[in-house]
Amino acid sequence: MSNLAVLPIIIPLISAIILVFFNSKVNISRGLAKLFSLINLSVALYINWYVLENGSIILETGDWAAPYGIILVVDSLAAILVLTTNLIAAACAFYAPNAGLERKEKFYFYPLFFFLISGVSGAFVTGDLFNLFVFFEVLLMASYGLIVLGGDKVQLRESLKYLLINVFSSMLFVTAIAFLYAVVGTVNMAHIAQRVQEVEQQGVLTAIGVLLFFVFATKAALFPLYYWLPKSYVVPNPVISALFGALLTKVGIYSILRVFSLIFVYKLELTHETFIWIAGLSMIFGVIGALSTNNIKLIIAYNIIPAIGFIILGIGVLNQESLGGSVYYLIHDMIIKAALFLIVGVIAYIAGTSDLRKMGGLINYYPFLGWLLFVAAFVLAGIPPFSGFIGKLLLLQGAFKEGEIAIVIIGLLTSLLILYSIMKIFIKGFWGDKDAMGDFKKKPVKGMIAPIVFLLAFSVALGVGAEYFYPIVDSIAAYLLDPEIYIDSVLKE
Amino acid sequence: MIFAVLIPLLIACFIPYLSKIKHKIHTGYFVFIIPLVIFIYFVRFIGNDFTPVRQTVNWIPSLGINFDFYLDGLSLLFVLLISGIGALVVLYSIFYLSNQERLGHFYVYLLMFMTAMLGVVLSDNIFVLYTFWELTSISSFLLIGYWHFKERSRYGALKSMMITIFGGLSMFGGFILLSVITGTTSIQQMIAQSDMILTSDYLPLILILILLGAFTKSAQFPFHIWLPDAMEAPTPVSAYLHSATMVKAGLFLVARFSPVFSGYELFFIIVSLIGIITLCWGSYMAVRQTDLKAILAFSTVSQLGMIMAMLGFGTEAAVFAAVFHILNHATFKGSLFMVAGIIDHETGTRDIRKLGGLLTFMPMTATLALFGTFSMAGVPLPFLNGFYSKELFFDATLGLDAATILSQAIPYLAVFGSIFTFVYSMYFFFGVFTGPKQFNLLPKKPHEAPMGMLISPIVLVLGVVVIGLFPNLANAPFLLHAAQAVNSGVEFHEVSFWHGFKPPLIMSLIVVGLGTVLVMTRKKWASVYTVLPGRLSFNKAYDKLIEKIDSYSAGVTNYYMNGSLKTYMTLILGTTLIVTFIFMLLTNGFALSTDNSADFSVLEISVVIIMIIAAIATIFMNHNVAAILVLGVVGFGVAILFVTYRAPDIALTQLVIETISVALFLLCFYHLPKLKKSTDSAKTKIANATIAIGFGALMTAIGISAHSSNWFDSISEYFIETSYTLGGGDNIVNVILVDMRGLDTLFEIAVLGIAALAIIGLIKYKKNKGAE
Amino acid sequence: MEIIISILSGVLFAAAIYNILQKQLLRIVIGTTLLSHGAHLFIFTMGKLKTGQPPVLTDGISDYTDPLPQALILTSIVISFGVTSLLLVLAYRTTQENNTDNMEQLRGSENE
Repeated sequence: MSNLAVLPIIIPLISAIILVFFNSKVNISRGLAKLFSLINLSVALYINWYVLENGSIILETGDWAAPYGIILVVDSLAAILVLTTNLIAAACAFYAPNAGLERKEKFYFYPLFFFLISGVSGAFVTGDLFNLFVFFEVLLMASYGLIVLGGDKVQLRESLKYLLINVFSSMLFVTAIAFLYAVVGTVNMAHIAQRVQEVEQQGVLTAIGVLLFFVFATKAALFPLYYWLPKSYVVPNPVISALFGALLTKVGIYSILRVFSLIFVYKLELTHETFIWIAGLSMIFGVIGALSTNNIKLIIAYNIIPAIGFIILGIGVLNQESLGGSVYYLIHDMIIKAALFLIVGVIAYIAGTSDLRKMGGLINYYPFLGWLLFVAAFVLAGIPPFSGFIGKLLLLQGAFKEGEIAIVIIGLLTSLLILYSIMKIFIKGFWGDKDAMGDFKKKPVKGMIAPIVFLLAFSVALGVGAEYFYPIVDSIAAYLLDPEIYIDSVLKE
Repeated sequence: MIFAVLIPLLIACFIPYLSKIKHKIHTGYFVFIIPLVIFIYFVRFIGNDFTPVRQTVNWIPSLGINFDFYLDGLSLLFVLLISGIGALVVLYSIFYLSNQERLGHFYVYLLMFMTAMLGVVLSDNIFVLYTFWELTSISSFLLIGYWHFKERSRYGALKSMMITIFGGLSMFGGFILLSVITGTTSIQQMIAQSDMILTSDYLPLILILILLGAFTKSAQFPFHIWLPDAMEAPTPVSAYLHSATMVKAGLFLVARFSPVFSGYELFFIIVSLIGIITLCWGSYMAVRQTDLKAILAFSTVSQLGMIMAMLGFGTEAAVFAAVFHILNHATFKGSLFMVAGIIDHETGTRDIRKLGGLLTFMPMTATLALFGTFSMAGVPLPFLNGFYSKELFFDATLGLDAATILSQAIPYLAVFGSIFTFVYSMYFFFGVFTGPKQFNLLPKKPHEAPMGMLISPIVLVLGVVVIGLFPNLANAPFLLHAAQAVNSGVEFHEVSFWHGFKPPLIMSLIVVGLGTVLVMTRKKWASVYTVLPGRLSFNKAYDKLIEKIDSYSAGVTNYYMNGSLKTYMTLILGTTLIVTFIFMLLTNGFALSTDNSADFSVLEISVVIIMIIAAIATIFMNHNVAAILVLGVVGFGVAILFVTYRAPDIALTQLVIETISVALFLLCFYHLPKLKKSTDSAKTKIANATIAIGFGALMTAIGISAHSSNWFDSISEYFIETSYTLGGGDNIVNVILVDMRGLDTLFEIAVLGIAALAIIGLIKYKKNKGAE
Repeated sequence: MEIIISILSGVLFAAAIYNILQKQLLRIVIGTTLLSHGAHLFIFTMGKLKTGQPPVLTDGISDYTDPLPQALILTSIVISFGVTSLLLVLAYRTTQENNTDNMEQLRGSENE
């Protein structure tokens, strides 16, 4: 059954290749994309079930034993993230035909979409550091393709910055892998972890770890490395922004979570203490960014940063509660960010502008959309009983247990401002007179609403049904806290 | 019990359907039944032998978050207020809101609030309490913003939400600390383990965080500013949420946690001080208002302050007085809000400057207002409940341990605040119902309200009178239990109208006497408001803050998010450089060893030197083709190094790729503008060079150190051993690529494919655009 | 020799970064190419240089150079090539569309 591990990577890859051939037939492409995304989703569901029942799936690709070949490790963390990824992908696949992509659909939107999913899933399941780099490149390349789709002036300009910064960090990534290889003589993560542990992360190892951290932090958009993010996430079509916002930065933070709970965990007082500072600064500067603008897409894009801050907080604190909180928050944030990007996509579509100052009174025409945004705002801010609350509760409890009071207070204040930043959209965009936007023509948005409802339903379920999800997350946290389990499961010792 | 809490929310789901038939029956009638049923359900618990009831329904037991409902005397008092006043308010709203309004929304929000509020007062679990707490803020936000097309409504709604959710989050912080310290999420268990809390180092922080929650919710100074703006809500809402119930959630919270904190000096100081300041400030400011609802809003602020102060005193007498006044305040203030609503409804204005002489036109309303205002003022008459609680309050202020300046000052401040309470109460009544008639100023011709609208205030005023006449009626079976839940030492306390010529009565008389003088001379001293508050305004502070948050954020963000790649790269590089360097230093990362080094010859050294020169030359080349050629030199240099160091495969690849790249470069460079000489200032150049050299040096240092820390054998040995036996190939690199790391290669090809698709998209999209 | 090549790679990095910090798009693209050269040389150095024969199995020889970094470089070279190609086209299109190749003029403003 271990071949299951490769499915989340291979199915999207094959889907993408098939879709290349149907590129000019938009209707077939749409149908196939929906079908493939559902297949992926069911496979991901099955994998999850399998992993929960039987433990991690370890696949030694090409039958080359660990640590020599590339090992795919679908542990409970990877499985649940792959599932979340595919949930979002499915929602986006159903949203895309209605998203006003127009001709972009004919320019390899769907193939690029599935390449992206393949890369993201690959990054989650791989147990090999260099292979992680390759999957990073796959998802980045797909993201380059998606972000430039359309070729507007603004879009090209922001894509260029996005691409250049990512090229730099990719090169830094391979170099850091090379350095690590020089010291420990391996690129398998479990093996690296074992060897780093053996020498207690002495000498140059921490510096290499920090280099890796910066590589991932650039992708994850942590303070102070997130400059590329806000504007480049605003320029493409909302469905693409949703994919980016939900998945790309999360791959970065996932890598930090993996590497800094598995490999570099022997100089906590240096590395992880720094993370807590970075967490606080990310929260503050991220939310300040969100408050700085009247562009609704930009508001959501900036809100990615404090969320990443919350997740890194859990990694920095590194106890069971906080890691559980990080994982919970990670899943929560993937879903809600996708939903929010899709929501503002609809808003921008019906209003014909992203500028909040030119909107008003939309609730008179789109009450349901308004309430979706309203609920999403509370989900995002971590107000109970929604999903953000559980994550935040765990994170803050974890932080307090280690005596990190200041960060708890920053986290709470940030939550308030996050809520404010989204509520601004609700109050200014939705509330108001019927004729606040002059002569208003209603556009049909049904096909765009359904995927949003689908995602929000998960957000609510993740909060209200926490009794079902939390034990899973808690066991993931316990698992992450003990690198031996991972090492043993891969190296079979 | 859980059913009683959730029933409003469940019914709320059906309201949109019920409101569809609104043209026949007002939706309010359906809704009215709900609080009534809840009231009847809970009223059965009243009795001398009441004992707390507990019911648990699991929600997230693994996190200790469960619907743990605990009905003790304190909860019972609030539950009855919520359902009782709730029923009256719904009844009133049937006549207040016409069928033309969006009634469905209104009642959904109202029922949502009912569930939330019941949940707050019944939850023993702190996190469930917090959940309901935020839900009250949210429903209050929606109700204030009910007429969202009005700018003031939007403003008030946002303000109330920002302030109450701020408090809610801070309370949440306090709860997290409490749960971590005590290891439980049950308030009752925390009370049982209050030693653990009282000996914690974090005690002051916990206290302040929780009190922030209470103070914001109960509109305590200086967070009171949201309450007057919340008056934009329809009047039934103001009567219900913003006077009788929601704003008392803060009081409830303080009362609930009193058993934990009661022995703690800081608790007494903060709560009493803030309470008494709020009392004085609220009543002082109320006199200045011209809008009837604004007067009542500030009056509510002040009364809440008074109750808060009494909870702060924490003595048996004070706690009983507080509980007693919570009930009394709900009766007279509720009725007064309804009166204000009636006046607004029937005259079209709430501006007291335009109103006057309504006595003859609205005799019923005037009578109701008379009872309400006189009770609020604490006029010593035996049929007004307000007098009793005021007396008890004065009594409590005198019963404090007079060791500190604060406790000595409190009686004086209490009298001061009460004088103004008297003044605005009289101002309210006489300003509206007596004096010159100026009907030309009124939008509508005034007339008495319909009977239906009067029922609810009549019931409340009856409450005022009944409690006034029989102050001990509810005492033993009801209020005593509530008081004992706050301070277990409270004993049965006979409340009587005449208890001798004692200090509290003297204080009351001073209030009435001085108050009357001030009422008479109001115009003469009104100018004090230009001195205090004068230009000092917490409202302005809030507005400034909100405004500044936006503009400062924009300022800060635009400062560094300036769209310049160079700025971004400089910041990214600078941070990476500095932090990594510091970590290198901290962990003694530097290492240098020449073991295992390869030897070198003139050939290699000369290649290296040429490459270094070529690399640096790229910076200075000002001609496109020259730049590409120099770049090509570096690329081919790399290939030569690969050759000399026995890497035939990559050398070959490098050569091919380099050749294609150069061609590609030439193709593109042909279209790109010519290179220009850098126009940067010397300063910029030096800065760039510093970062560049610094980063290069850092990478070199880490590289050398990494290479010198060769502690383990490489896994490559295995590849060499098994390349042929398992992989079936002599060329190890090839075997690694296609077999051992075949997955890498597969996706490397995928990357190329994606790049091709992306390039097609980039080039073709443009072309087609012209065609369409 | 490893030290010398490390220094060379460092110089390549430095030159690359200096180019990336320039305004003209062309220079920035040159910078990224230099960067990938630097990175590849680093990987190359991190194996053992010239301590053996080319990693092609030959009878009687047991000492080979480290094949793994070579495989990694190969993958990386190909990927870099893909990225560079895309970058070139993107640079070309951006310049065309925005009528400038100066990154400082490609900042954009807040209200777009």
